[in-house]
Amino acid sequence: MKTRDEFVAEREPRWRELEQLLAASVAQGEATRRIAALYRALSADVMQVRSLGFGADLRRRLDALASRAHNCLYRAPEREGSFAFREMLRDFPRLVRQHWGFVAVATLLFWLPFALGLAGALFRPGFAEHVLPPETLEAMNTWYAKSEVRPDGGDSAMAGFYVYNNVGIAFRCFATGILFGAGSIFFLVFNGITLGTSFGWVIANGHGRNILTYCCGHSPFELTAIVISGAAGLQIGFALLDTGGLSRRSSLLRAGRSALVLVVGAGVFLLVAAGFEAFWSAAPVPDPVKWVVAGLNTLFVLAYLALGGRSRERRA
Amino acid sequence: MLQDGRHAAIDTATDIDTPERTRFSCRLAGPAQRAFAYLIDGLVRGAILVGLFAVASGAGLMGQTASGLGQGIALLALFVVDWCYYVACELFMNGQSFGKRALGLRVVCNNGLPIGLRESVLRNLLRAVDFLPLWNVLGGLTMCLDGQFRRLGDLVAGTFVVVEGSEAILPPIALSPAPTLEELRALPARVAFSAEELDAIDHLMRRKQALSRPREQELASLLAPRLAQRWNLTYTDPVRFLALLHHRATHPLAT
Repeated sequence: MKTRDEFVAEREPRWRELEQLLAASVAQGEATRRIAALYRALSADVMQVRSLGFGADLRRRLDALASRAHNCLYRAPEREGSFAFREMLRDFPRLVRQHWGFVAVATLLFWLPFALGLAGALFRPGFAEHVLPPETLEAMNTWYAKSEVRPDGGDSAMAGFYVYNNVGIAFRCFATGILFGAGSIFFLVFNGITLGTSFGWVIANGHGRNILTYCCGHSPFELTAIVISGAAGLQIGFALLDTGGLSRRSSLLRAGRSALVLVVGAGVFLLVAAGFEAFWSAAPVPDPVKWVVAGLNTLFVLAYLALGGRSRERRA
Repeated sequence: MLQDGRHAAIDTATDIDTPERTRFSCRLAGPAQRAFAYLIDGLVRGAILVGLFAVASGAGLMGQTASGLGQGIALLALFVVDWCYYVACELFMNGQSFGKRALGLRVVCNNGLPIGLRESVLRNLLRAVDFLPLWNVLGGLTMCLDGQFRRLGDLVAGTFVVVEGSEAILPPIALSPAPTLEELRALPARVAFSAEELDAIDHLMRRKQALSRPREQELASLLAPRLAQRWNLTYTDPVRFLALLHHRATHPLAT
């Protein structure tokens, strides 16, 4: 049997060669083959060192090297094209339908408070003041008092703001769902009640036409996206409660896969909404045109979610 | 650090089985290392933003007179740096961000494979909740409670962060001064250690330079009396005694 020092002296050159090859940024062709050969040899060395007890330091060094070589040689499964645009386009509506329960709950969690806020602000004096700070209410009033609502900062600035703010909210609404759904519930209810109250307040102040023609274009995308990202959050939160016989960890992993598609789809919806809100909603276009576009948008969202990706479902 | 199958070692490492039917252990990155990497990434992100703003204002896009284009770009940049920085880094640098690269850390799937877009997007979206209630407290707590130092994002994406860096191995053992004939004669012809004992002595010998003389003596005294009793030997210097036994174990007499 070799002593440790003899063993190290014999194998050291190969380990060094492998280290150098791995340090080079991209391995290609001949280098990959050489790495593979050296890695296989290293695998044997790793097992030998483990079984012979050649010392923890040597084992750690070989483990680290093996880990790097393994990481270089093997790819994660379904890496290529797994996240392709076409697949997203198909999977997103399919998953919305598959998890219709969560979508339904999220819809209620958003629209019930919305209706409550709307009704409260419309019919109960002083309600809006309880929900929103007076400065916000005042700002909205002056904002929508103008018959043509033009954002102050210019269209591009507003587009940037809508992306930063709205997509950020949707992502947070999803992520905090992991707290047994609590975060998603909070964001859905909070946004529902503040938005509903805002609408109610502006309408009660007599600027209903302005706010509705402004919002009708982008709302189908924006509000659907908030609901869906909330549904994705509820899904991962629920995966912790009802594990379906798996460990909580595995259940979370499984839920994460489909929730990811939902939240990314919601993000894309919000980008579309930001585009509409910045460049269309405030555009000086006659009201009927805006309402027609709003109707088409609503129809598109509903049709896409109801019918998108059907052919694949039938085959599967 | 020895593992005998029945007792897993208490260690910041996790085992990965490979198609070659071997198993190697990955050293996991703890909260402190990851916090440090996070700080470096924070600096990089700040620098990216400052750079972008500088370019934008240099091009006359910022300020009172300019249109909203500059503001729009600034907010988009803020969004991209907030939500896309880590995903872009991990994708193009195979599981590393600049901070992680600086500290020799890498995100891998829990089977040791490189992470893909899905894993990266998931674990980085969940940063929003790991950050709560402020300064990554929730993520840090989860990391401390989890056996593999995973924050919530890692749990959902099925990833963990490993320490890469190549480890230096300790120098070969040289018995100096060379054993005298009397010393060798006093030793038994064969000494059989358990793997643990051999490992311990081996490690002690290799760490000679790093230890002070009294500490070396102290460590050697933990094992020397037991071995002396086993073979009915006497010794004056426990360090020398262990070194001689180790010498005999690795250089057995020709029979």
